[in-house]
Amino acid sequence: MTAPRIAFLSAIAAVALTLLAPRPARGAAGEWSVNDQSKVRLITAWKVAPKSGEMWMGLQFALSPGWHVYWKNSGDAGFPPAVTFQPADVLGKPELLWPTPSRFNLPGDLVAFGYEREVIYPVRAEIKPKPAAAPTPPGGEQAAAGDTRPGDTMTITADLDYLVCEVDCVPHRCTLTVEQPVGDPPEADREMAQLLQGYLDRLPRNVTEVAGVTTGAVLDASRPAAPELEIRVLGARAEAGKTDLFLETQDALDAGRPRMKVTPDGLVFHVPMKPRETNKPLPARTPVAWTISNLLAKDGHSFSLEARRDVDVWSRGGPPAAGAGDGEPAAAPGRLARLLLSALLGGALLNLMPPVLALLLAELLVLRAGAGEGSGRVREGAAAATTGIVGAAWGLAALALAAHRSGLPAGWGAQLQEPMLGAVLAVALAVLALNLWGVIEVPLALTSPANAAVGTGRHLLAGLFTTPLALACPVPLLDEPLGYALTRGPVAVAAFFAVVGFGLALPYLLLTVLPAAVRALPAPGSWTPRLREGLGFLAGGGTFWALYALAHQVSPEGLAGIELALLALALLAWLRHRQGSGRALRTLFALGLLACAVGIPWLAGHNRVQKTPTTATTQLNPGG
Amino acid sequence: MRSKAPFRRTLLGLAVIGLVSLAAVPAFAGSAVGDTAPAFKLTAMDGKTYSLAELKGKTVVLEWANPNCPVSSRHTREKTMIELSKQYGEVVWLGINSTSSNSGDYMKPADELAWNQKNGIAYPVLADPTGAIGHAYGAKTTPHMFIIDKDGKIAYNGAIDDDPPGRKARAERVNYVGHGIDAEKAGKSPDPASTRPYGCSVKY
Repeated sequence: MTAPRIAFLSAIAAVALTLLAPRPARGAAGEWSVNDQSKVRLITAWKVAPKSGEMWMGLQFALSPGWHVYWKNSGDAGFPPAVTFQPADVLGKPELLWPTPSRFNLPGDLVAFGYEREVIYPVRAEIKPKPAAAPTPPGGEQAAAGDTRPGDTMTITADLDYLVCEVDCVPHRCTLTVEQPVGDPPEADREMAQLLQGYLDRLPRNVTEVAGVTTGAVLDASRPAAPELEIRVLGARAEAGKTDLFLETQDALDAGRPRMKVTPDGLVFHVPMKPRETNKPLPARTPVAWTISNLLAKDGHSFSLEARRDVDVWSRGGPPAAGAGDGEPAAAPGRLARLLLSALLGGALLNLMPPVLALLLAELLVLRAGAGEGSGRVREGAAAATTGIVGAAWGLAALALAAHRSGLPAGWGAQLQEPMLGAVLAVALAVLALNLWGVIEVPLALTSPANAAVGTGRHLLAGLFTTPLALACPVPLLDEPLGYALTRGPVAVAAFFAVVGFGLALPYLLLTVLPAAVRALPAPGSWTPRLREGLGFLAGGGTFWALYALAHQVSPEGLAGIELALLALALLAWLRHRQGSGRALRTLFALGLLACAVGIPWLAGHNRVQKTPTTATTQLNPGG
Repeated sequence: MRSKAPFRRTLLGLAVIGLVSLAAVPAFAGSAVGDTAPAFKLTAMDGKTYSLAELKGKTVVLEWANPNCPVSSRHTREKTMIELSKQYGEVVWLGINSTSSNSGDYMKPADELAWNQKNGIAYPVLADPTGAIGHAYGAKTTPHMFIIDKDGKIAYNGAIDDDPPGRKARAERVNYVGHGIDAEKAGKSPDPASTRPYGCSVKY
């Protein structure tokens, strides 16, 4: 055989071997390292990387449903991923960047910060040209395999340790590899660059880079055992139910759950803090770094913000010097009184909300009808309604606490973010409407309004029914006191709901004191049933409001199912009410009605839209 | 008379509510370094009872543990705590498991005792299935370490060492608890006295 032929054959053999051998990943993306909870790979933005200068890479995680990996502050548990890159002499010490995280609530009031489903931690490296100290002799050998010399291929490895948690946690260790061609001119890998870009866009922007937005903080340590961090943002709005605050770790202080308040020119967070060492006095200034997610700029686009400040610490006696901060002290005296007044006023205002108003007017009609029997009767009825309202408010306090513990949104009106509660409201309002139209006989006071022999128990029931109805009505006045109460514990929450309850019961309280006032209402006449029917439309309108809120929480099919079930509920109620139905048939209709009422929350629960619809997936394909 | 009663009751209720809302509870629980260590009386997996009051005058180390947590069990495999507790025989070393009996990680005392014996954990591990003691200390992770000094005050609160993923060789890790006990023995305060604990969340 001639020499060229041997060369040719060996070339073919080499190609065949290359094809048959397990292909090492070349360029742009490495092999996935796979386990039960997650898979992870190293990607780069280049088909051919530049010989020197900035080099972008990424650690791409795909996580099984429910599992998460961590932000730089992992929260109460866990730990962030740790990674070292090779070759260190070329890449230097690459920097891991942290996209804006999400909050995960764990049992026991613990919290974690991180990412679920999919995340890419962008990595920035600076490629250093190989020192020219040992130049390859001219005509010498080509670079050996594994050599990291630019102009050829370098093997980039990432030794990665990470913890992946659901409620349980599993630590993983792996080595990720990319065979990265390096050359001139460099060539970008469009697909990987776009993937990376999606997560570069999710990095919080430093506040100095965002025009028109400022942020500042102050640590109010006037109560040394329970300092409070106040963080303000000016020039941006909050995105309802999404905006959140993430603090980086601090040496001296543990952070509690932040509560957010909207101000006319932005928003403010208050975070209860706890010194980690009681004997160590806090310094006059302390470094704090924070990220705020889902802010809305003036032009409506959503962004997250990052800031790092030396924050003034206000000790007992207020700010250390004039002009040290731009905010009022977080726990100003008289704040509690103002919050309680807000709660009372907010509660009273709830009476003007259509579904509540419908029930209130109907109830007043009954009380007016009973006025003929003397003021004692009115007083008793009104007191019963008050008791019902406040009692139900305490029930709600327990629910709100439970929801807060389990991490559900717990603002006034925020319960509509939980589809099952929204569905219960829709059913309750529909039942109220049907009741006012006289189609359903629920043992509320309203069934036989003209009949003065309405027992106290029925007024109590009407009161009990009022409070959940009021939940459907967002009243901004109530948000701040509720947020405050939730951070202060069960007693404060019970007190808050009681005050709201008393506000809500204010009309009845008035009648308890001044039963004669009921006579100011027109005496019942032939018009009362018609008014009652009219009020039914108010309650019916409330159903629409509840359905509107549900539209954001459940799938379109789920919503259609809920609406059909509501229609069926009304139909069955009407059929049952019609004259001429036999006893068995009426029982059957009643059972069907009950099934609908129970089925609607079930439908809502099973068709809920998955939470955290992050924009990640859309950003991954910016072109399409 | 009869009709006035509800009104009076309402007023009384209002007054009570006004009072309780003033007595708002503190923001969050847990123990800081320098605080008196919360008292406890708990039953160990072997049935013996341990109370902090009886250990006054001794340095006590508390280790929040959960055999089903891979971070805890890595340290068991590497014998981090096992060897440290033997090295410092004069301190009382107590494991505490605050896993709720509702959690999938929960082990019956007999099973956990058998697991501990099989894996060389000779020190007592106390059962706190209600999580009351875990919450009183503010235990967040497994492992989460506390050193209680001879006066019954918390001297150290935090991680076992400076290597959450366990990447370093044993000798290169800074063992905060070991250093803390050394400081206590020398009559000084541990430095650092508090670090960030790492690991699985306590399964309350």
